[in-house]
Amino acid sequence: MSPKKTSTCYVRFDQDLCTGYGSCLRVCPTKAIRVKNKKAIRIVDQCIGCGECIRICHEGAVSAATEGPELLKRDHVAIALVSPVLYAQFPGVMPKDILLGLRQMGFEHTIDMSYFLEIFQFATEEFINRNRTSQTAPWPLISPVCPVVVRLIAFRFPNLLPNVLPVLRPVALMAREVKSRLIPEYSKKGEKVVLYYINPCPTKKEPSCLSGRKQDGSSEIALGINDIYPELVKHVDQIKAADGIPFYQTRFEYETCATGNASMWAMSGGEIADMDTDKSLAVSGMEETISYLEKIELGLFQDIEYIEFRTCREGCLGGALNAIDKYLAKGAVQKMIKRFGLGRRLHRENIMRMYEKGEFQSEKKPAKLTSLFGAHKEALSIDSMRKIEKVLELIKGKDCTACGAPDCRTFAEDVVRGDAVLKECLFVDAQKKRKR
Amino acid sequence: MSKFKKSFHIKGRDFIRAGEASINVQNLLKSMDFDPRLIRRVAICGYESEMNVVMHGGDGSLSLEVDTDRLILEISDDGPGIEDIDLAMQAGYSTANDDHREMGFGAGMGLPNMKKNSDQIHIESNRDQGTVVRMIFFLPEGGKTD
Repeated sequence: MSPKKTSTCYVRFDQDLCTGYGSCLRVCPTKAIRVKNKKAIRIVDQCIGCGECIRICHEGAVSAATEGPELLKRDHVAIALVSPVLYAQFPGVMPKDILLGLRQMGFEHTIDMSYFLEIFQFATEEFINRNRTSQTAPWPLISPVCPVVVRLIAFRFPNLLPNVLPVLRPVALMAREVKSRLIPEYSKKGEKVVLYYINPCPTKKEPSCLSGRKQDGSSEIALGINDIYPELVKHVDQIKAADGIPFYQTRFEYETCATGNASMWAMSGGEIADMDTDKSLAVSGMEETISYLEKIELGLFQDIEYIEFRTCREGCLGGALNAIDKYLAKGAVQKMIKRFGLGRRLHRENIMRMYEKGEFQSEKKPAKLTSLFGAHKEALSIDSMRKIEKVLELIKGKDCTACGAPDCRTFAEDVVRGDAVLKECLFVDAQKKRKR
Repeated sequence: MSKFKKSFHIKGRDFIRAGEASINVQNLLKSMDFDPRLIRRVAICGYESEMNVVMHGGDGSLSLEVDTDRLILEISDDGPGIEDIDLAMQAGYSTANDDHREMGFGAGMGLPNMKKNSDQIHIESNRDQGTVVRMIFFLPEGGKTD
Protein backbone atom coordinates (compact mmCIF):
# COMPACT_ATOMS: atom_id res chain seq x y z
CA MET A 1 0.00 0.00 0.00
CA SER A 2 1.17 3.50 -0.74
CA PRO A 3 2.36 5.95 1.91
CA LYS A 4 0.64 5.94 5.28
CA LYS A 5 -0.40 9.53 5.53
CA THR A 6 -2.94 11.10 7.80
CA SER A 7 -3.83 14.02 5.58
CA THR A 8 -4.49 14.45 1.92
CA CYS A 9 -4.49 17.62 -0.11
CA TYR A 10 -8.25 17.92 0.52
CA VAL A 11 -8.80 16.77 4.11
CA ARG A 12 -6.94 16.88 7.40
CA PHE A 13 -7.19 14.18 10.06
CA ASP A 14 -6.70 14.96 13.74
CA GLN A 15 -5.35 11.78 15.34
CA ASP A 16 -6.07 13.06 18.86
CA LEU A 17 -9.76 13.55 18.21
CA CYS A 18 -10.21 10.24 16.38
CA THR A 19 -11.80 7.54 18.51
CA GLY A 20 -11.45 4.83 15.89
CA TYR A 21 -15.23 4.52 15.58
CA GLY A 22 -14.74 4.03 11.89
CA SER A 23 -17.91 5.50 10.42
CA CYS A 24 -15.71 7.17 7.83
CA LEU A 25 -14.57 3.77 6.55
CA ARG A 26 -17.83 2.84 4.92
CA VAL A 27 -18.63 6.15 3.29
CA CYS A 28 -15.32 6.60 1.48
CA PRO A 29 -16.07 5.98 -2.22
CA THR A 30 -12.48 5.07 -3.03
CA LYS A 31 -11.96 2.92 0.08
CA ALA A 32 -9.00 5.04 1.08
CA ILE A 33 -9.34 4.87 4.87
CA ARG A 34 -8.17 2.20 7.34
CA VAL A 35 -8.42 2.33 11.13
CA LYS A 36 -5.49 0.80 12.95
CA ASN A 37 -4.90 0.48 16.72
CA LYS A 38 -8.22 2.17 17.44
CA LYS A 39 -6.63 5.54 16.85
CA ALA A 40 -4.41 5.91 13.93
CA ILE A 41 -6.14 6.51 10.70
CA ARG A 42 -4.12 6.02 7.64
CA ILE A 43 -5.05 7.13 4.23
CA VAL A 44 -3.81 5.65 1.08
CA ASP A 45 -3.22 7.94 -1.82
CA GLN A 46 -6.72 7.68 -3.18
CA CYS A 47 -8.52 10.69 -1.76
CA ILE A 48 -10.71 12.44 -4.33
CA GLY A 49 -11.83 15.16 -1.92
CA CYS A 50 -15.54 14.35 -1.75
CA GLY A 51 -15.88 15.33 1.91
CA GLU A 52 -18.04 12.34 2.90
CA CYS A 53 -15.71 11.62 5.85
CA ILE A 54 -15.98 15.22 7.07
CA ARG A 55 -19.75 14.96 7.02
CA ILE A 56 -19.96 11.66 8.89
CA CYS A 57 -17.29 12.09 11.59
CA HIS A 58 -19.05 12.70 14.94
CA GLU A 59 -15.81 13.62 16.69
CA GLY A 60 -14.83 16.37 14.30
CA ALA A 61 -11.55 14.58 13.64
CA VAL A 62 -11.77 15.23 9.93
CA SER A 63 -11.72 18.71 8.51
CA ALA A 64 -11.23 20.35 5.16
CA ALA A 65 -7.75 21.38 4.16
CA THR A 66 -8.87 24.98 3.77
CA GLU A 67 -7.38 28.07 5.38
CA GLY A 68 -9.04 30.28 7.93
CA PRO A 69 -10.16 33.86 7.12
CA GLU A 70 -7.57 35.25 9.54
CA LEU A 71 -5.29 35.26 6.53
CA LEU A 72 -7.25 38.17 5.19
CA LYS A 73 -4.71 40.77 6.17
CA ARG A 74 -4.11 44.11 4.60
CA ASP A 75 -0.72 43.40 3.10
CA HIS A 76 -2.12 42.13 -0.16
CA VAL A 77 -4.90 42.60 -2.70
CA ALA A 78 -7.57 40.05 -1.86
CA ILE A 79 -9.78 38.76 -4.65
CA ALA A 80 -12.75 36.57 -3.72
CA LEU A 81 -13.84 33.99 -6.28
CA VAL A 82 -17.35 33.28 -5.18
CA SER A 83 -19.27 30.07 -5.74
CA PRO A 84 -22.99 30.87 -6.16
CA VAL A 85 -23.66 28.39 -3.37
CA LEU A 86 -22.79 31.27 -1.05
CA TYR A 87 -25.94 33.11 -2.20
CA ALA A 88 -28.09 30.17 -1.11
CA GLN A 89 -26.85 30.62 2.46
CA PHE A 90 -28.75 33.91 2.81
CA PRO A 91 -32.45 33.32 2.19
CA GLY A 92 -34.15 36.32 0.60
CA VAL A 93 -30.95 38.35 0.14
CA MET A 94 -29.90 39.52 -3.32
CA PRO A 95 -26.53 38.13 -4.52
CA LYS A 96 -25.19 41.65 -5.14
CA ASP A 97 -25.71 42.52 -1.48
CA ILE A 98 -23.82 39.41 -0.39
CA LEU A 99 -20.92 40.38 -2.67
CA LEU A 100 -21.02 43.85 -1.19
CA GLY A 101 -20.72 42.28 2.25
CA LEU A 102 -17.60 40.48 1.10
CA ARG A 103 -16.09 43.74 -0.11
CA GLN A 104 -16.82 45.30 3.26
CA MET A 105 -14.99 42.38 4.85
CA GLY A 106 -11.87 43.44 3.00
CA PHE A 107 -11.95 41.78 -0.37
CA GLU A 108 -10.81 44.23 -3.04
CA HIS A 109 -12.66 42.40 -5.80
CA THR A 110 -15.46 39.87 -5.78
CA ILE A 111 -15.83 37.58 -8.77
CA ASP A 112 -19.25 36.08 -9.34
CA MET A 113 -18.79 32.54 -10.60
CA SER A 114 -22.38 32.25 -11.85
CA TYR A 115 -21.36 34.56 -14.73
CA PHE A 116 -18.88 31.92 -15.86
CA LEU A 117 -21.34 29.12 -15.24
CA GLU A 118 -23.59 30.85 -17.75
CA ILE A 119 -20.80 31.06 -20.31
CA PHE A 120 -20.13 27.39 -19.68
CA GLN A 121 -23.80 26.64 -20.23
CA PHE A 122 -23.83 28.30 -23.66
CA ALA A 123 -20.69 26.42 -24.64
CA THR A 124 -22.18 23.15 -23.39
CA GLU A 125 -25.35 23.63 -25.42
CA GLU A 126 -23.30 24.35 -28.51
CA PHE A 127 -21.14 21.27 -28.00
CA ILE A 128 -24.21 19.05 -27.54
CA ASN A 129 -25.81 20.55 -30.62
CA ARG A 130 -22.74 19.86 -32.77
CA ASN A 131 -22.20 16.44 -31.25
CA ARG A 132 -25.60 15.37 -32.59
CA THR A 133 -24.11 15.34 -36.07
CA SER A 134 -20.37 15.00 -35.49
CA GLN A 135 -20.61 12.28 -32.80
CA THR A 136 -17.19 13.24 -31.48
CA ALA A 137 -18.05 12.18 -27.93
CA PRO A 138 -20.21 9.27 -26.77
CA TRP A 139 -23.66 9.81 -25.19
CA PRO A 140 -24.48 10.47 -22.46
CA LEU A 141 -22.12 13.40 -21.94
CA ILE A 142 -21.20 13.88 -18.31
CA SER A 143 -21.00 17.32 -16.70
CA PRO A 144 -17.44 18.25 -15.66
CA VAL A 145 -18.66 20.89 -13.17
CA CYS A 146 -18.31 18.75 -10.02
CA PRO A 147 -14.58 17.98 -9.75
CA VAL A 148 -15.24 15.04 -7.45
CA VAL A 149 -17.27 13.38 -10.18
CA VAL A 150 -14.43 13.80 -12.66
CA ARG A 151 -11.93 12.33 -10.20
CA LEU A 152 -14.30 9.52 -9.28
CA ILE A 153 -14.59 8.65 -12.97
CA ALA A 154 -10.81 8.71 -13.43
CA PHE A 155 -10.41 6.49 -10.39
CA ARG A 156 -13.23 3.98 -10.69
CA PHE A 157 -14.73 4.40 -14.16
CA PRO A 158 -11.87 5.22 -16.56
CA ASN A 159 -14.00 3.79 -19.35
CA LEU A 160 -16.23 6.83 -19.04
CA LEU A 161 -13.57 9.52 -19.37
CA PRO A 162 -14.47 10.05 -23.04
CA ASN A 163 -18.03 10.84 -21.89
CA VAL A 164 -16.85 13.78 -19.77
CA LEU A 165 -17.84 16.96 -21.61
CA PRO A 166 -14.63 18.44 -23.09
CA VAL A 167 -15.56 22.03 -22.27
CA LEU A 168 -13.46 24.04 -19.81
CA ARG A 169 -14.93 23.99 -16.32
CA PRO A 170 -16.53 27.24 -15.08
CA VAL A 171 -13.91 27.58 -12.35
CA ALA A 172 -11.18 27.38 -15.00
CA LEU A 173 -12.91 30.02 -17.14
CA MET A 174 -13.14 32.26 -14.09
CA ALA A 175 -9.50 31.77 -13.10
CA ARG A 176 -8.36 32.46 -16.68
CA GLU A 177 -10.26 35.72 -16.80
CA VAL A 178 -8.96 36.91 -13.44
CA LYS A 179 -5.40 35.93 -14.28
CA SER A 180 -5.42 37.64 -17.64
CA ARG A 181 -7.28 40.84 -16.68
CA LEU A 182 -7.01 41.62 -13.00
CA ILE A 183 -3.75 40.22 -11.75
CA PRO A 184 -1.45 41.83 -14.38
CA GLU A 185 -2.62 45.30 -13.33
CA TYR A 186 -1.45 44.71 -9.78
CA SER A 187 1.69 42.78 -10.59
CA LYS A 188 2.79 45.69 -12.80
CA LYS A 189 2.62 47.85 -9.69
CA GLY A 190 4.48 45.20 -7.71
CA GLU A 191 1.50 44.47 -5.46
CA LYS A 192 0.86 41.00 -4.10
CA VAL A 193 -2.43 39.39 -5.11
CA VAL A 194 -4.14 36.53 -3.30
CA LEU A 195 -7.08 34.66 -4.83
CA TYR A 196 -9.54 33.30 -2.28
CA TYR A 197 -11.77 30.52 -3.61
CA ILE A 198 -14.91 30.50 -1.47
CA ASN A 199 -16.22 26.97 -1.72
CA PRO A 200 -19.02 24.74 -0.43
CA CYS A 201 -16.80 21.65 -0.43
CA PRO A 202 -13.19 20.72 0.31
CA THR A 203 -12.36 20.64 -3.32
CA LYS A 204 -13.05 22.96 -6.16
CA LYS A 205 -9.47 22.99 -7.29
CA GLU A 206 -6.80 20.64 -8.47
CA PRO A 207 -4.12 19.72 -5.95
CA SER A 208 -1.42 21.32 -8.07
CA CYS A 209 -2.89 24.80 -7.63
CA LEU A 210 -3.71 24.59 -3.94
CA SER A 211 -0.45 26.06 -2.82
CA GLY A 212 2.59 27.95 -3.94
CA ARG A 213 3.28 31.32 -5.43
CA LYS A 214 2.54 31.73 -9.09
CA GLN A 215 4.88 33.32 -11.60
CA ASP A 216 2.83 36.51 -11.65
CA GLY A 217 3.31 36.94 -7.90
CA SER A 218 -0.19 35.80 -6.99
CA SER A 219 -1.12 32.92 -4.73
CA GLU A 220 -4.30 30.95 -4.15
CA ILE A 221 -6.12 29.97 -1.01
CA ALA A 222 -9.25 27.86 -0.54
CA LEU A 223 -11.81 28.99 2.02
CA GLY A 224 -14.87 27.10 3.15
CA ILE A 225 -18.18 28.97 3.11
CA ASN A 226 -18.44 28.13 6.82
CA ASP A 227 -15.07 29.84 7.38
CA ILE A 228 -16.32 33.25 6.33
CA TYR A 229 -20.02 32.96 7.18
CA PRO A 230 -19.94 34.20 10.82
CA GLU A 231 -18.17 37.41 9.77
CA LEU A 232 -20.07 37.86 6.52
CA VAL A 233 -23.48 37.47 8.10
CA LYS A 234 -22.84 40.60 10.23
CA HIS A 235 -22.09 42.70 7.16
CA VAL A 236 -25.05 41.32 5.24
CA ASP A 237 -27.38 42.11 8.14
CA GLN A 238 -26.06 45.69 8.18
CA ILE A 239 -26.58 46.04 4.45
CA LYS A 240 -30.11 44.69 4.74
CA ALA A 241 -30.91 47.16 7.54
CA ALA A 242 -29.40 50.18 5.76
CA ASP A 243 -31.75 52.62 4.09
CA GLY A 244 -29.70 53.34 1.03
CA ILE A 245 -27.18 50.85 -0.19
CA PRO A 246 -23.82 52.48 -0.85
CA PHE A 247 -22.97 52.52 -4.52
CA TYR A 248 -19.95 50.53 -5.45
CA GLN A 249 -18.18 51.07 -8.69
CA THR A 250 -17.22 47.79 -10.33
CA ARG A 251 -15.26 47.65 -13.55
CA PHE A 252 -16.23 44.28 -14.83
CA GLU A 253 -19.68 42.82 -15.20
CA TYR A 254 -18.71 39.71 -13.23
CA GLU A 255 -17.59 41.68 -10.19
CA THR A 256 -21.15 41.89 -9.06
CA CYS A 257 -24.20 39.76 -9.71
CA ALA A 258 -27.10 41.43 -11.40
CA THR A 259 -29.48 38.49 -11.33
CA GLY A 260 -31.47 37.19 -8.42
CA ASN A 261 -31.65 33.62 -9.66
CA ALA A 262 -27.87 32.97 -9.63
CA SER A 263 -28.21 30.69 -6.61
CA MET A 264 -29.98 28.10 -8.75
CA TRP A 265 -26.57 26.70 -9.67
CA ALA A 266 -26.27 25.49 -6.09
CA MET A 267 -29.20 23.13 -6.43
CA SER A 268 -29.24 19.72 -8.05
CA GLY A 269 -30.80 20.27 -11.47
CA GLY A 270 -29.76 23.92 -11.58
CA GLU A 271 -27.27 23.31 -14.34
CA ILE A 272 -29.77 21.71 -16.71
CA ALA A 273 -32.89 23.66 -15.71
CA ASP A 274 -32.53 26.21 -18.49
CA MET A 275 -30.60 24.13 -21.02
CA ASP A 276 -32.03 23.62 -24.48
CA THR A 277 -31.99 19.85 -24.41
CA ASP A 278 -34.83 17.70 -23.14
CA LYS A 279 -32.69 14.62 -22.99
CA SER A 280 -30.93 15.57 -19.79
CA LEU A 281 -30.90 14.33 -16.21
CA ALA A 282 -29.68 15.60 -12.86
CA VAL A 283 -28.38 13.06 -10.37
CA SER A 284 -27.15 13.90 -6.89
CA GLY A 285 -25.67 12.00 -3.95
CA MET A 286 -22.58 9.81 -3.86
CA GLU A 287 -24.41 6.47 -3.89
CA GLU A 288 -26.72 7.50 -6.70
CA THR A 289 -23.85 8.91 -8.72
CA ILE A 290 -21.88 5.67 -8.43
CA SER A 291 -24.93 3.59 -9.27
CA TYR A 292 -25.60 5.66 -12.42
CA LEU A 293 -21.96 5.56 -13.51
CA GLU A 294 -22.00 1.77 -13.12
CA LYS A 295 -25.05 1.58 -15.34
CA ILE A 296 -23.61 3.89 -17.97
CA GLU A 297 -20.59 1.57 -18.09
CA LEU A 298 -22.95 -1.31 -18.81
CA GLY A 299 -24.16 0.60 -21.88
CA LEU A 300 -27.34 2.13 -20.44
CA PHE A 301 -28.62 5.71 -20.84
CA GLN A 302 -27.27 6.15 -24.36
CA ASP A 303 -30.55 7.87 -25.24
CA ILE A 304 -29.68 10.67 -22.77
CA GLU A 305 -27.53 13.56 -24.02
CA TYR A 306 -26.30 15.16 -20.82
CA ILE A 307 -26.17 14.18 -17.17
CA GLU A 308 -25.45 16.62 -14.38
CA PHE A 309 -23.84 14.69 -11.52
CA ARG A 310 -23.20 16.08 -8.04
CA THR A 311 -21.78 13.75 -5.43
CA CYS A 312 -23.35 15.82 -2.66
CA ARG A 313 -27.00 15.14 -2.02
CA GLU A 314 -29.27 17.89 -3.42
CA GLY A 315 -26.28 19.37 -5.26
CA CYS A 316 -23.60 21.82 -4.13
CA LEU A 317 -25.83 23.26 -1.42
CA GLY A 318 -25.34 19.88 0.27
CA GLY A 319 -21.57 20.43 0.37
CA ALA A 320 -19.73 19.64 3.57
CA LEU A 321 -18.54 23.23 4.13
CA ASN A 322 -21.85 25.05 3.92
CA ALA A 323 -23.17 27.22 6.71
CA ILE A 324 -26.90 26.44 6.66
CA ASP A 325 -28.87 23.21 6.26
CA LYS A 326 -29.24 22.00 2.68
CA TYR A 327 -33.03 21.92 2.71
CA LEU A 328 -33.26 25.46 4.03
CA ALA A 329 -30.84 26.51 1.30
CA LYS A 330 -32.87 24.62 -1.31
CA GLY A 331 -36.01 26.41 -0.16
CA ALA A 332 -34.24 29.74 -0.50
CA VAL A 333 -33.13 28.90 -4.04
CA GLN A 334 -36.60 27.79 -5.10
CA LYS A 335 -38.09 31.05 -3.87
CA MET A 336 -35.52 33.06 -5.84
CA ILE A 337 -36.29 31.08 -9.01
CA LYS A 338 -40.00 31.70 -8.48
CA ARG A 339 -39.34 35.41 -8.12
CA PHE A 340 -36.86 35.93 -10.92
CA GLY A 341 -37.42 33.04 -13.31
CA LEU A 342 -34.66 31.21 -15.12
CA GLY A 343 -33.47 33.97 -17.46
CA ARG A 344 -29.87 34.54 -18.48
CA ARG A 345 -27.95 37.79 -18.56
CA LEU A 346 -25.44 37.02 -21.33
CA HIS A 347 -25.94 36.96 -25.08
CA ARG A 348 -25.42 33.79 -27.05
CA GLU A 349 -23.81 35.56 -30.03
CA ASN A 350 -20.89 36.87 -27.99
CA ILE A 351 -20.19 33.48 -26.47
CA MET A 352 -20.46 31.78 -29.86
CA ARG A 353 -17.71 34.02 -31.26
CA MET A 354 -15.44 32.81 -28.46
CA TYR A 355 -16.55 29.24 -29.07
CA GLU A 356 -15.55 29.44 -32.73
CA LYS A 357 -12.07 30.49 -31.66
CA GLY A 358 -11.82 27.34 -29.53
CA GLU A 359 -11.64 29.24 -26.27
CA PHE A 360 -13.67 26.72 -24.30
CA GLN A 361 -12.02 23.55 -25.37
CA SER A 362 -10.73 21.55 -22.43
CA GLU A 363 -7.21 20.34 -22.98
CA LYS A 364 -7.40 17.77 -20.27
CA LYS A 365 -7.06 14.48 -22.05
CA PRO A 366 -8.33 11.25 -20.49
CA ALA A 367 -4.76 9.96 -20.14
CA LYS A 368 -3.79 13.03 -18.11
CA LEU A 369 -6.76 12.58 -15.78
CA THR A 370 -5.94 8.92 -15.32
CA SER A 371 -2.37 9.71 -14.39
CA LEU A 372 -3.55 12.38 -11.93
CA PHE A 373 -6.40 10.56 -10.24
CA GLY A 374 -6.42 7.00 -11.53
CA ALA A 375 -5.96 3.97 -9.30
CA HIS A 376 -2.25 3.44 -8.84
CA LYS A 377 -2.47 0.05 -7.17
CA GLU A 378 -0.64 -2.85 -8.67
CA ALA A 379 -2.88 -5.08 -10.79
CA LEU A 380 -3.95 -8.32 -9.15
CA SER A 381 -2.78 -11.54 -10.80
CA ILE A 382 -4.93 -14.60 -11.36
CA ASP A 383 -3.17 -16.22 -8.43
CA SER A 384 -3.89 -13.24 -6.15
CA MET A 385 -7.55 -13.33 -7.18
CA ARG A 386 -7.73 -16.97 -6.11
CA LYS A 387 -6.05 -16.16 -2.79
CA ILE A 388 -8.51 -13.35 -2.13
CA GLU A 389 -11.41 -15.75 -2.66
CA LYS A 390 -9.82 -18.16 -0.16
CA VAL A 391 -9.46 -15.42 2.43
CA LEU A 392 -13.08 -14.42 1.84
CA GLU A 393 -14.19 -18.01 2.48
CA LEU A 394 -12.30 -18.01 5.77
CA ILE A 395 -13.67 -14.74 7.07
CA LYS A 396 -17.28 -15.47 6.11
CA GLY A 397 -17.95 -11.91 5.04
CA LYS A 398 -20.06 -9.88 7.47
CA ASP A 399 -18.54 -6.53 6.45
CA CYS A 400 -18.30 -5.60 10.14
CA THR A 401 -15.29 -3.25 9.67
CA ALA A 402 -13.82 -4.34 13.04
CA CYS A 403 -10.53 -5.12 11.30
CA GLY A 404 -10.27 -1.50 10.25
CA ALA A 405 -10.98 -2.05 6.56
CA PRO A 406 -14.19 -0.78 4.92
CA ASP A 407 -15.43 -4.24 3.90
CA CYS A 408 -14.36 -7.88 3.77
CA ARG A 409 -13.37 -7.80 0.12
CA THR A 410 -11.02 -4.85 0.71
CA PHE A 411 -9.59 -6.56 3.80
CA ALA A 412 -8.95 -9.75 1.84
CA GLU A 413 -7.24 -7.69 -0.85
CA ASP A 414 -5.11 -5.95 1.82
CA VAL A 415 -4.10 -9.35 3.24
CA VAL A 416 -3.07 -10.69 -0.16
CA ARG A 417 -1.19 -7.49 -0.95
CA GLY A 418 0.63 -7.82 2.40
CA ASP A 419 -0.89 -4.69 3.97
CA ALA A 420 -2.91 -6.51 6.65
CA VAL A 421 -2.69 -9.82 8.51
CA LEU A 422 -5.46 -12.41 8.60
CA LYS A 423 -5.75 -12.50 12.39
CA GLU A 424 -6.90 -8.89 12.41
CA CYS A 425 -10.27 -10.34 11.41
CA LEU A 426 -12.29 -11.01 14.56
CA PHE A 427 -14.03 -14.04 13.05
CA VAL A 428 -10.77 -15.71 12.06
CA ASP A 429 -9.26 -14.93 15.45
CA ALA A 430 -12.27 -16.30 17.36
CA GLN A 431 -12.28 -19.49 15.28
CA LYS A 432 -8.61 -20.04 16.04
CA LYS A 433 -9.16 -19.57 19.77
CA ARG A 434 -12.08 -21.99 19.77
CA LYS A 435 -9.97 -24.63 18.05
CA ARG A 436 -7.28 -24.30 20.69
CA MET B 1 -4.21 -24.68 -12.09
CA SER B 2 -4.03 -21.23 -13.54
CA LYS B 3 -7.64 -20.17 -13.71
CA PHE B 4 -9.74 -17.93 -11.53
CA LYS B 5 -13.45 -18.52 -11.46
CA LYS B 6 -16.28 -16.81 -9.67
CA SER B 7 -20.01 -16.91 -10.18
CA PHE B 8 -22.90 -14.68 -9.21
CA HIS B 9 -26.56 -15.46 -8.74
CA ILE B 10 -29.17 -13.79 -10.96
CA LYS B 11 -32.71 -13.55 -9.68
CA GLY B 12 -35.41 -13.82 -12.32
CA ARG B 13 -37.89 -10.96 -12.76
CA ASP B 14 -35.98 -8.76 -10.30
CA PHE B 15 -35.65 -5.66 -12.46
CA ILE B 16 -34.47 -3.48 -9.57
CA ARG B 17 -31.31 -5.50 -8.95
CA ALA B 18 -30.75 -6.48 -12.56
CA GLY B 19 -27.21 -5.62 -13.60
CA GLU B 20 -25.60 -6.32 -10.22
CA ALA B 21 -23.87 -9.49 -11.35
CA SER B 22 -22.37 -7.69 -14.35
CA ILE B 23 -21.20 -4.82 -12.15
CA ASN B 24 -19.50 -7.37 -9.86
CA VAL B 25 -17.78 -8.97 -12.83
CA GLN B 26 -16.73 -5.55 -14.03
CA ASN B 27 -15.21 -4.68 -10.63
CA LEU B 28 -13.22 -7.92 -10.53
CA LEU B 29 -11.81 -7.22 -13.98
CA LYS B 30 -10.95 -3.65 -12.98
CA SER B 31 -8.94 -4.86 -9.96
CA MET B 32 -6.97 -7.05 -12.37
CA ASP B 33 -6.31 -4.00 -14.52
CA PHE B 34 -7.55 -5.30 -17.85
CA ASP B 35 -7.83 -2.94 -20.80
CA PRO B 36 -10.89 -0.71 -20.16
CA ARG B 37 -12.17 -1.40 -23.67
CA LEU B 38 -12.11 -5.14 -23.04
CA ILE B 39 -13.86 -4.65 -19.70
CA ARG B 40 -16.54 -2.63 -21.44
CA ARG B 41 -17.17 -5.37 -24.00
CA VAL B 42 -17.43 -7.99 -21.25
CA ALA B 43 -19.71 -5.74 -19.21
CA ILE B 44 -22.07 -5.11 -22.12
CA CYS B 45 -22.27 -8.85 -22.84
CA GLY B 46 -22.81 -9.54 -19.15
CA TYR B 47 -25.60 -7.00 -18.86
CA GLU B 48 -27.41 -8.09 -22.04
CA SER B 49 -27.36 -11.72 -20.95
CA GLU B 50 -28.32 -10.84 -17.39
CA MET B 51 -31.34 -8.95 -18.72
CA ASN B 52 -32.34 -11.97 -20.79
CA VAL B 53 -32.34 -14.10 -17.66
CA VAL B 54 -34.27 -11.48 -15.67
CA MET B 55 -36.88 -11.07 -18.43
CA HIS B 56 -37.33 -14.63 -19.64
CA GLY B 57 -35.20 -17.07 -17.77
CA GLY B 58 -36.28 -17.48 -14.18
CA ASP B 59 -33.27 -17.87 -11.87
CA GLY B 60 -29.75 -18.23 -13.16
CA SER B 61 -26.12 -17.44 -12.69
CA LEU B 62 -23.38 -15.43 -14.31
CA SER B 63 -19.85 -16.74 -14.02
CA LEU B 64 -16.51 -15.28 -14.96
CA GLU B 65 -13.46 -17.35 -15.69
CA VAL B 66 -10.07 -15.70 -16.09
CA ASP B 67 -7.37 -17.72 -17.80
CA THR B 68 -3.93 -16.68 -18.97
CA ASP B 69 -5.08 -16.22 -22.56
CA ARG B 70 -8.83 -15.65 -22.37
CA LEU B 71 -11.87 -14.56 -20.37
CA ILE B 72 -14.97 -16.69 -20.39
CA LEU B 73 -18.40 -15.42 -19.41
CA GLU B 74 -21.04 -18.08 -18.89
CA ILE B 75 -24.69 -17.42 -18.20
CA SER B 76 -27.05 -20.23 -17.39
CA ASP B 77 -30.69 -20.25 -16.38
CA ASP B 78 -33.55 -22.68 -15.80
CA GLY B 79 -36.00 -20.75 -17.96
CA PRO B 80 -38.13 -21.66 -20.98
CA GLY B 81 -35.18 -22.02 -23.35
CA ILE B 82 -34.78 -20.59 -26.85
CA GLU B 83 -36.85 -22.33 -29.48
CA ASP B 84 -35.01 -21.17 -32.59
CA ILE B 85 -31.49 -19.97 -31.86
CA ASP B 86 -30.80 -18.75 -35.42
CA LEU B 87 -33.91 -16.62 -35.33
CA ALA B 88 -33.03 -15.23 -31.89
CA MET B 89 -29.64 -14.15 -33.21
CA GLN B 90 -31.27 -11.89 -35.80
CA ALA B 91 -31.26 -8.20 -34.96
CA GLY B 92 -34.73 -6.97 -34.09
CA TYR B 93 -36.23 -10.34 -33.30
CA SER B 94 -37.69 -10.31 -29.81
CA THR B 95 -39.96 -12.39 -27.61
CA ALA B 96 -40.32 -9.65 -25.02
CA ASN B 97 -43.83 -8.89 -23.81
CA ASP B 98 -45.54 -5.51 -23.49
CA ASP B 99 -44.43 -5.05 -19.88
CA HIS B 100 -40.80 -5.47 -20.91
CA ARG B 101 -41.21 -2.97 -23.75
CA GLU B 102 -42.80 -0.46 -21.43
CA MET B 103 -39.63 -0.59 -19.34
CA GLY B 104 -37.55 0.12 -22.43
CA PHE B 105 -36.40 -3.42 -23.14
CA GLY B 106 -37.23 -5.83 -25.92
CA ALA B 107 -35.60 -4.17 -28.94
CA GLY B 108 -34.36 -7.55 -30.09
CA MET B 109 -30.72 -6.49 -29.86
CA GLY B 110 -29.61 -8.62 -26.89
CA LEU B 111 -28.07 -11.66 -28.54
CA PRO B 112 -26.80 -9.73 -31.61
CA ASN B 113 -25.09 -7.30 -29.25
CA MET B 114 -23.49 -10.16 -27.33
CA LYS B 115 -22.28 -11.68 -30.58
CA LYS B 116 -20.84 -8.36 -31.70
CA ASN B 117 -18.96 -7.73 -28.45
CA SER B 118 -17.52 -11.21 -27.83
CA ASP B 119 -14.93 -13.13 -29.84
CA GLN B 120 -16.88 -16.39 -29.71
CA ILE B 121 -20.39 -17.21 -28.57
CA HIS B 122 -21.89 -20.64 -27.95
CA ILE B 123 -25.52 -21.13 -27.07
CA GLU B 124 -27.01 -24.34 -25.80
CA SER B 125 -30.72 -24.33 -25.34
CA ASN B 126 -33.74 -26.52 -25.66
CA ARG B 127 -37.37 -25.81 -25.05
CA ASP B 128 -38.16 -25.95 -21.32
CA GLN B 129 -34.64 -27.01 -20.48
CA GLY B 130 -33.00 -23.68 -19.80
CA THR B 131 -30.23 -21.91 -21.64
CA VAL B 132 -26.46 -21.75 -21.35
CA VAL B 133 -24.64 -18.95 -23.15
CA ARG B 134 -20.85 -19.08 -23.20
CA MET B 135 -18.87 -16.11 -24.49
CA ILE B 136 -15.13 -16.06 -25.00
CA PHE B 137 -12.90 -13.00 -25.10
CA PHE B 138 -9.32 -13.63 -26.17
CA LEU B 139 -6.63 -11.62 -24.44
CA PRO B 140 -4.08 -9.83 -26.59
CA GLU B 141 -0.60 -11.31 -27.04
CA GLY B 142 1.08 -11.74 -23.66
CA GLY B 143 -2.23 -12.36 -21.89
CA LYS B 144 -2.50 -12.31 -18.10
CA THR B 145 0.22 -13.61 -15.84
CA ASP B 146 -0.75 -16.28 -13.38
